[in-house]
Amino acid sequence: MKVQVLQENLQRGLSIVGRAVATRSTLPITANVLLQTDKGRLKLAATDLDIAMSAWVGAKVDEEGATTVPSRLISDFVSSLPPATVQMEIPERSRQMKLECARNESSINAMDAEDFPRIPEVRDGVAILLDAKALKRAIDRVEFAAASDDSRPVLTGVHMKSDGTRLTLASADGFRLAVSDISLPTAPGETVEIIVPARALRELGRLIGDGNEPVEMRINGSRTQVLFALTEVELVAQLIQGTFPNYNQLIPTEYNTRCIVDVDEFKREARIAAIFARDGSGIIRLQMAPSQNGMPGELKVSARADEIGDNEGKIDADIAGDASKIAFNARYLQDVLNALTGKVALEMTSPSSQGVFRPISPEGTEPDTYVHVVMPMFVQW
Amino acid sequence: MPDSPAPTVIHVDLDAFFVSMELLRHPELRGLPVIVGGPGARGVVSTCSYEARTFGVRSGMPGSRARQLCPQAVFLPGDFRFYAPASRAFHAILRDYTPLVEPAGADEAYLDVRGCERILGDGPWIASEIRRRVREEIGITASAGVSTNKLVSKVASDAGKPDGLVVVPPGGEAEFFAPRPIRDLPMVGPKTAEALAAIGVTTIGQLAAIPASVLEGRFGRHGRELAERARGVFDAPVLAGRGEAKSVSREMTFSHDEPDRARLRAVIRGQAERIAAELAQAGKSARTVTLKLRFPPFETLTRSATVARPVGLADELFEAGTRLFEEAWAANGRRPVRLLGIGATNLQERARQLGLGETLEADRLSGAVAEVRAKFGEGALRRAAELGARVPRYGAGGASDPRLE
Repeated sequence: MKVQVLQENLQRGLSIVGRAVATRSTLPITANVLLQTDKGRLKLAATDLDIAMSAWVGAKVDEEGATTVPSRLISDFVSSLPPATVQMEIPERSRQMKLECARNESSINAMDAEDFPRIPEVRDGVAILLDAKALKRAIDRVEFAAASDDSRPVLTGVHMKSDGTRLTLASADGFRLAVSDISLPTAPGETVEIIVPARALRELGRLIGDGNEPVEMRINGSRTQVLFALTEVELVAQLIQGTFPNYNQLIPTEYNTRCIVDVDEFKREARIAAIFARDGSGIIRLQMAPSQNGMPGELKVSARADEIGDNEGKIDADIAGDASKIAFNARYLQDVLNALTGKVALEMTSPSSQGVFRPISPEGTEPDTYVHVVMPMFVQW
Repeated sequence: MPDSPAPTVIHVDLDAFFVSMELLRHPELRGLPVIVGGPGARGVVSTCSYEARTFGVRSGMPGSRARQLCPQAVFLPGDFRFYAPASRAFHAILRDYTPLVEPAGADEAYLDVRGCERILGDGPWIASEIRRRVREEIGITASAGVSTNKLVSKVASDAGKPDGLVVVPPGGEAEFFAPRPIRDLPMVGPKTAEALAAIGVTTIGQLAAIPASVLEGRFGRHGRELAERARGVFDAPVLAGRGEAKSVSREMTFSHDEPDRARLRAVIRGQAERIAAELAQAGKSARTVTLKLRFPPFETLTRSATVARPVGLADELFEAGTRLFEEAWAANGRRPVRLLGIGATNLQERARQLGLGETLEADRLSGAVAEVRAKFGEGALRRAAELGARVPRYGAGGASDPRLE
């Protein structure tokens, strides 16, 4: 293999696929990145066997071929090079890759591309075209609620299910549940229902970034792998097998109290309360008082720690229904608020049942169907 | 420190509390040496009447020794269910005068009535009122000491026992202390008293005469404190709510070393129930569960486990407690056990993260059980599983007594 690549292109490609490199693996070669000429471009790929990422960068291919080199080493090296052309050369069956850039020369020990795990290709199966912004927003609102411990593997994933032109993403970790919809330009050829590892979607969200190009999602015929294809980048993930809990029954449709507040104010008070909560049991208490005698309704956000002290912040609230109170784990409350902007409604029926967070769409815009359910903390008031 | 010291710190102590309570229901024992506490081989004198004290019997003494000193004494087992309401009534009386009440046990407390004088009367007057109300409302006697600080008031109430009131005026502390034996100072134990006697000090006055620097040279930091206290100087304020437990535990000494696994587990079951009730009442849950195990003759070991999710329910405490027990017991050849106890420490506000779709049945049940027990006593409701154990009428103890914190 002999190719010439611009240093900044190579660096970008390496940093993208570097996210899929295995950090602890019994298979040493998975700590490497695959470099391969591909139709006049250079393909970079890495995998930890759960997810695989590939990126293509423009290159002048002088001689076709493939090899693998340690990801960490080549990334650190390339990112330190000056912005110039990098020439990489490795003779057939050689174990040494030579790199030249400006007046710097080096050689890196390589491992044979033949030994690298096969990067799955999903070329058949059902495909769905997704709007990048809508997908990114849904991922940001859902993936954090997935379980981080794998005592119930299905909960470490995000459930994706299509219904006509609607694709619903949902995740739950046993204490909270997040559900977000994306509308599709056209209904997929067949109904899709898969569980994608939350980590894969987190990486996908990172790949999309501020990008606008549509994302193609393709699921293989045996429903074991999903591919997300962006311009010049692809991510393939092994799907989680199993049955996702039927979560719809966990979303209450009624409430006794509905409290609408400004998200930024709520976020600020929750952040302050969390400082006090972290030295106690991590509890933030919310008390809602409807408007009375011309005074506006009020949401009181408070926390206390026996040994430290206590804190109480108040914000104006539009409250329908009864005065009420509920306590949440500080992190769960902050997580959901961080996923929102504008105004949010908190709906609840009692201090010991679900708190339901729903964004309030500005007038004249399409209703936002996102819903986030958080189970409260059972506390003595 | 206050600019104008006034005698506002009161120490109130119920006289021979458990014995006084027994005399209420056994008036025929009045005037006799009465001892509450086990007469058995391993019993300990919990409280004794003043008549028994003249024979040299003291609380904390082994029952067998008390029996030797005073063979004619009447031994009664402790009945905490009978004493507890009186203790609650006593503390309630104190709180009628000031919220600044620092409990120092079931039968004693410190109060600071500073600022209440205009409305209620001065310290000595409030102390006599409290003594009158204890006598009329509970039917037993209390002694009280009044001074400018907790140390002097404590020594004063001891000096007034039984049924006395001793007021030490501001400035009179050193004079009040001077003739008293050195052991009357709460911080002087047998070791210190011995060391002081060796240099010819037997009264507090003699101690006060020694310069602080000399005592410091002899006893270190402890010496400086001794010098101050001998002069009646003590500036720790009365702290309300100091009685809040930092741990809750129950333990039990078996009258015969217990070899039976089922019985031992049943004991843990009962202890878990009672700890859970106390935790529920205090609104706490525990991050750490402890085990105390003693094998004969006196080999004590403790084990603890810290859990990720705080525990508070009886089932959770039982599970954690038996896990610790099974491990420690197996590691010690499953020998017969002399003492067994579990405890909950690392307490935090009781709060439980509810799971999606979870209901509150377990918490409601535990709350209801705690309520029944608070009203009708700990024995009012028991698990059937506990019935396998010989449950002593007087096996409780632990941290319901804040002194054992």
